[in-house]
Amino acid sequence: MADIDRRNGSGGGGGYRGGYQNNRKRRYRDDDDFDRNRNQRRRHEEPPHVKLRKQLLGLAESPLKTIDEELKDISKLIVENYSDERLRENFLEMALQLVHEQPFKIPFIASIFLISNNEKPILTEDIIAKAARALQTQAREGLWREAKLSLRFFACMQGLLENDGVFPLLNELFSRAVDLQTAFTDDGLGLELIKIIQLTIVYLMASSASGFEQQASALLENTDVVASAPHPLLPLVDPYPGSKEVNDHEPQSVIGLLQKQLSDEAANGWPLASVPRPWKFLLAQNPEDQGPKHALPAIELPTTVTSKIRPRLPEVYFSVYADQERETVPSTKNISSVIFRDALVDTINMLDYNRNAAAKFLIDLDTFFAPDTFAKRGTPFDKLKELPEDSSTWKPEDVLVDAVFSQLLQLPNSEHKLVYFHSVLTEACKIAPAAIAPCLGRAIRYLYKNLGDMDLELQARFTDWFTHHLSNFGFTWKWTEWVDDVELSFAHPQKAFIAGVLEKEIRLSVVGRIRGTLPESYHRLLPASDEEESPPFRFESDHEPYAPEAREILKLIRSRASEDEIQAQIDAIQQAAAERGLADPALPAIDVYVTCVVFAGSKSLSHILSYIERCKDRLLTISAAGRAGQRQIIGSVMQYWIEKPGIAVNIIDKLLNYTILSPLAVVEWALVDKLDNGEILNRSYIYEVIASTTYKVTNRVRQIVVARNQAGMMPEQLKILDETLDKERIAMAELFTVIEDALKGVAEGSADGMVENDDPDEEEQKLLRTWGGRWLRVFRRKMAVEQSWTREMLNSPQPQEQDANNTTVQEDMADAVE
Amino acid sequence: MQARQERNTVERLDRPSAYYLGKNKKRRQDDRDGAQSPQQEPEDPLANATTLYVGNLSFYTTEEQIHELFAKCGEIKRLVMGLDRFSKTPCGFCFVEYYTHQDALDCMKYIGGTKLDERIIRTDLDPGFQEGRQYGRGKSGGQVRDEYRDEFDAGRGGYGKAYAAQMERAEEDYGRGK
Repeated sequence: MADIDRRNGSGGGGGYRGGYQNNRKRRYRDDDDFDRNRNQRRRHEEPPHVKLRKQLLGLAESPLKTIDEELKDISKLIVENYSDERLRENFLEMALQLVHEQPFKIPFIASIFLISNNEKPILTEDIIAKAARALQTQAREGLWREAKLSLRFFACMQGLLENDGVFPLLNELFSRAVDLQTAFTDDGLGLELIKIIQLTIVYLMASSASGFEQQASALLENTDVVASAPHPLLPLVDPYPGSKEVNDHEPQSVIGLLQKQLSDEAANGWPLASVPRPWKFLLAQNPEDQGPKHALPAIELPTTVTSKIRPRLPEVYFSVYADQERETVPSTKNISSVIFRDALVDTINMLDYNRNAAAKFLIDLDTFFAPDTFAKRGTPFDKLKELPEDSSTWKPEDVLVDAVFSQLLQLPNSEHKLVYFHSVLTEACKIAPAAIAPCLGRAIRYLYKNLGDMDLELQARFTDWFTHHLSNFGFTWKWTEWVDDVELSFAHPQKAFIAGVLEKEIRLSVVGRIRGTLPESYHRLLPASDEEESPPFRFESDHEPYAPEAREILKLIRSRASEDEIQAQIDAIQQAAAERGLADPALPAIDVYVTCVVFAGSKSLSHILSYIERCKDRLLTISAAGRAGQRQIIGSVMQYWIEKPGIAVNIIDKLLNYTILSPLAVVEWALVDKLDNGEILNRSYIYEVIASTTYKVTNRVRQIVVARNQAGMMPEQLKILDETLDKERIAMAELFTVIEDALKGVAEGSADGMVENDDPDEEEQKLLRTWGGRWLRVFRRKMAVEQSWTREMLNSPQPQEQDANNTTVQEDMADAVE
Repeated sequence: MQARQERNTVERLDRPSAYYLGKNKKRRQDDRDGAQSPQQEPEDPLANATTLYVGNLSFYTTEEQIHELFAKCGEIKRLVMGLDRFSKTPCGFCFVEYYTHQDALDCMKYIGGTKLDERIIRTDLDPGFQEGRQYGRGKSGGQVRDEYRDEFDAGRGGYGKAYAAQMERAEEDYGRGK
């Protein structure tokens, strides 16, 4: 793949030139077919370094070649050409790079050295030295994922290591984890280290080495204390908090599961059935003669270990295929569940720079594990029951889709922008549509069914993914199966979800197109008209109060008339409103003015932006007079775009950037002015506007913190920044307090609209309260994450990468756990 | 084969396209002896690029649709629609500007090559929008690629303009019995 440099590889780079205007050639560029260039190469015997590189890169990928042959070929090539220094260096370099970029292949890479060790022990020495240097750096810099993979590589080579090999290092790592756990009550890094130890044991015990059962059990006894203890913060990242009361559901921490699974394996003599053992054939041929053993160079762990990126909250094991009639993914009792998940998740997260390659590796999942671990690729779900008793029913497609969802729906944050996970699923679907699409269907149905118990932030992510996914596949979905739910009230999570999806589909497409994909009964959830015209200007009708003035103002704005002329009309409205006895006569005038601006700019985003620019001064004046006026601005924008709230959300976002609106005004408009009995909480666009507004505030705090932590700050600069920071932090806290107070009212059923409205429909009331609770949970978590992040960063003022996902956990996170 | 630090075991999707590099080919050939790629040159105009060129849009795709998709990679600073030089209507491309370079790279990785309005769109890192670049450079006002296209594309005005004109002439000639 990557051995073809795009620029220089295609016959001097000239091949693509001029192709731009020619459709036939253009298609050629789009289809991401890595192999195309390769086929075009001149046919001749490749020099050894090219051949070796190719074979190494493709190791274990092909289901056609046997792994034995592949390993023998590579081993032979490198042994024969060992004296070629450049070839050797490149080989070692790439072998190690594969360990860190394509973790599925670690057992296979290690096996090359197991095979060549007899003939060229020096090669094993070389790679061990190289990998040890890498591990040393990773431990020092706190790159724990990479360190985990280095350790796994050594574990797979345990049979070539002197004495106890990797075990002493694991014991030392354990003592560091214990130090962390003792020092911090809510330590996350220690848990990560425990997981690394556990997973390394897996690969150690599946390696060619034998006789380490005792040591493994001793180490497991140690990890048990940490791994089996319930973590106080686990409930905070539970994707299904709602199901606790219903079916006694408890979120399962990954290290807790692993601990149990490992004890089971130990009790059964470590079968570790799914882990590949590609070295087996070698031992069968030559059991005695494996060549000399090598010492593992000393690796010094720092006295206090740190983590470069996100010391995390405890990790929850998440699955969308948990409760099926047939087991298509390993159950959490089986250690394979965590082994697959770990390798998949690392692959997904590390290969974000090439989603096509990531998707391809996921699809090829079954070639990287022991033979017969999975059912045959693409076996349909209902054919699984026809398989013989003793054969596996695990569907590789389900296992990989499950892993992507675990990342898309990870709390509090995912490692990458969510759209990355969308794109991986899209590519997987493109590679194997017939196999993947039905799996996605079952995942979607599971998530849909359990919406009510799901964390609300995850519901928003699910909505966003589902919509985006459908937009890549012609908006086709079996909508008929949810027809009954359309009749429910919006307080039902399923109905709210459907409405949210349709609204977002329209944003990516047009009403008419979406209507065409839906059964008739869904149509009333769509805007009435398919015409993509601007909504009407309500002051066209003289039945509206202040209609003549409004029409005049619209004309004046459009013709760039002087502000004085506009002011005259505004004054007239205010006067008329005062005569009608309105409490705040300024508000109807603001409503008229803003409606005019929004209507004038209704043609497109750039139109509204240029009108906002044109009317900026007056809007800023309104804004400066207080939040009542700002709330009116929001109300008028929302009212005009009520059928396409996405556009309103966008305009509000821009108005926030212009500081015409303050974040507090947005929150107050939604959660105070419009709260009523809490019904508004089930509109997905309301969640969207509040979530994006709070993000603006929290992100600003983060940016200031990052700025002040920069090296070389002058004291006076620092003082200014710290003053700003204090102000912003207070504003942030205030914002979260308003949100908290409003939502508590709904959650407890004491909101104004709920008390007055003594609704006889008890179920409806209960549902509304649930919405309040779900919102509350999300924003409490957000506040806790932000506060602890800020405090952590202020306490450790070394420059850090600006990474929105950098979260650390402290005591106040515990406060957010109910 | 020289082992290079930045080279990954699989190709990266956040690199400039062959088209962009093709345009700068001459310069590259000059320093081929140095075996340097353009990214390593100190004055690489894309080193901190925040703008993307977006191609293969339908003429009917709106700013709102583009915004909805591209905002998934970060807040959008500016969106400039590509217009037909004469009719001032959208002609199937645009520039999306983010606030950060990382957002632009992520967009290359996660959005380039996916669908918008049911068409596979193309993204390319761009040194930055300049006034004038919003207009098509084809003879009849749209993009050059829409002049000679001999395939019908309903989303992009049917056949290529020049191609359609040529077909029409041929038909007229046929009608006159030539």
